[in-house]
Amino acid sequence: MSAGQMLPAGLSRGVLVRVFLRSLFLQAGWNPLGMQNLGMAYALYPALRALYPEGPALKAAVQRHLAFFNTHPYVAGAILGGALFHESRIAHGEEDASSVVAFKAALMGPLAALGDGFFWLSLKPAVGALSAGLVPLIGAWSVLLYLVLYNVVHLGLRARLYWLGLTRGDALVEEVARVRLPQRGALLRNLAAGCAGGLAVWAAFLLGAQQGGAQSGPLLTAGCLLLGALAYRALGWRVTRYGALYLSAGLAILAGALI
Amino acid sequence: MRWALKRSGANVAPWWEQLCVAGLWGGLLALERRAFLQAMFSRPLVAATGMGFLLGDLQTGLFVGLLLELFHLGGAALGAALPDHDTLAATTASAAAVLMAPDGDASPAMWSLSVLLCGGGGGVGRLLERGLERHTSRLARLAQRSAEEGELRRAMRQNLWGMWSLFSAFAVVTMLGAGLGLLLARPVAALPDPLLNGLALAYPAMLSVSAACAAKGSRARQAGYWAGLGGLLVALWMVARRLSEGT
Repeated sequence: MSAGQMLPAGLSRGVLVRVFLRSLFLQAGWNPLGMQNLGMAYALYPALRALYPEGPALKAAVQRHLAFFNTHPYVAGAILGGALFHESRIAHGEEDASSVVAFKAALMGPLAALGDGFFWLSLKPAVGALSAGLVPLIGAWSVLLYLVLYNVVHLGLRARLYWLGLTRGDALVEEVARVRLPQRGALLRNLAAGCAGGLAVWAAFLLGAQQGGAQSGPLLTAGCLLLGALAYRALGWRVTRYGALYLSAGLAILAGALI
Repeated sequence: MRWALKRSGANVAPWWEQLCVAGLWGGLLALERRAFLQAMFSRPLVAATGMGFLLGDLQTGLFVGLLLELFHLGGAALGAALPDHDTLAATTASAAAVLMAPDGDASPAMWSLSVLLCGGGGGVGRLLERGLERHTSRLARLAQRSAEEGELRRAMRQNLWGMWSLFSAFAVVTMLGAGLGLLLARPVAALPDPLLNGLALAYPAMLSVSAACAAKGSRARQAGYWAGLGGLLVALWMVARRLSEGT
């Protein structure tokens, strides 16, 4: 079976691309009432117009997707694709309208947890810390590296999940499980912590070399390392990040006035 | 075509042009962060470096962004919870730092001062985003009503209207941050040397604390161990480099 035959009936490639591009605006109208409901309906609208004639059927389809919806914006592509898979079957009388509502309700929570855990809590810190850690070596190119590294994964997975939803419908869950995102996330979090530690040491050496000179340089390096280590411990004792930041600045200003 | 504003020489961009560029960048990044794409252009490292580039001092943007990237590394929008608006902190701090030095590149003392003054902008941004949700709630109700009345195109358009308020609000606040930098240019130039020296020392000190925040925010199971390992490797590399330079 060719890829074209697996796509939902009644939807051209052009419409499917439009839905994907409009899904990039999923959170444009985020609101506390329906959360991503406006974005979901906005993204699906070209496909719904292609599937249903103007009139009560189209209106009912739009209203189905104006109901509460919230998930991780990247993995929403899988639900969008799956929703189109179901809407195509509903339009052709093969399914009841409640199937798409049940599909969205069943998947938005678990996929949100998966997306939050991998993208927000693992990939973003890892790529951020790695790029920040490379600033001493490659300067502003690290910014470009950040965008490329992150978006190769982000846009690649976003498109792939949309495709899986479109072609597999409910079976996309098995495919998503096969990607093993939680296991990869743990590795990325370790990388983020390692890069942060490396950068702290670099900052301490830099301070000693640039500000201290031969006599007070090693002292400043040691002080900076101690400050980082103390801050790490203190953050576990209910000291806020802002408190630690401003306190360190105060100490440094005092030291600068005395040296 | 000129991509960045000129910072030194005879043709320095006028102050209003600098504020407009800062506001435009701040507004666009607020959209990218919340409403469109989320491709991490709004992360502090990228946002601040971009601001530095546009205002003509890339290095200042890069180093302000580096510090704030680490400081906010663990922040994440989970469910309906909003983290500190690290983008606003980065755009305002970098713009203020660049504009504090009217005739050239900003010094590390200015980087520190701008982070201390604008770093708290993250909380302001979070409150602003929360406040704007009232507007998008109104739009959501309007969309529901329009759909019930059969005006489907009108209902769909409501999704995009919310972006205007987001863009405008953050553009204005970023301009205020940049304006603070312009206002402080003269007082900062008159600061006594010991204080400037202390502010310069504050940058690496804050960077160390931010790195500690990043290690903590990484949520790695043994974050301390991994951070220590990373630090040890960098220390060995730096010692080896010093030794090879010495011989």
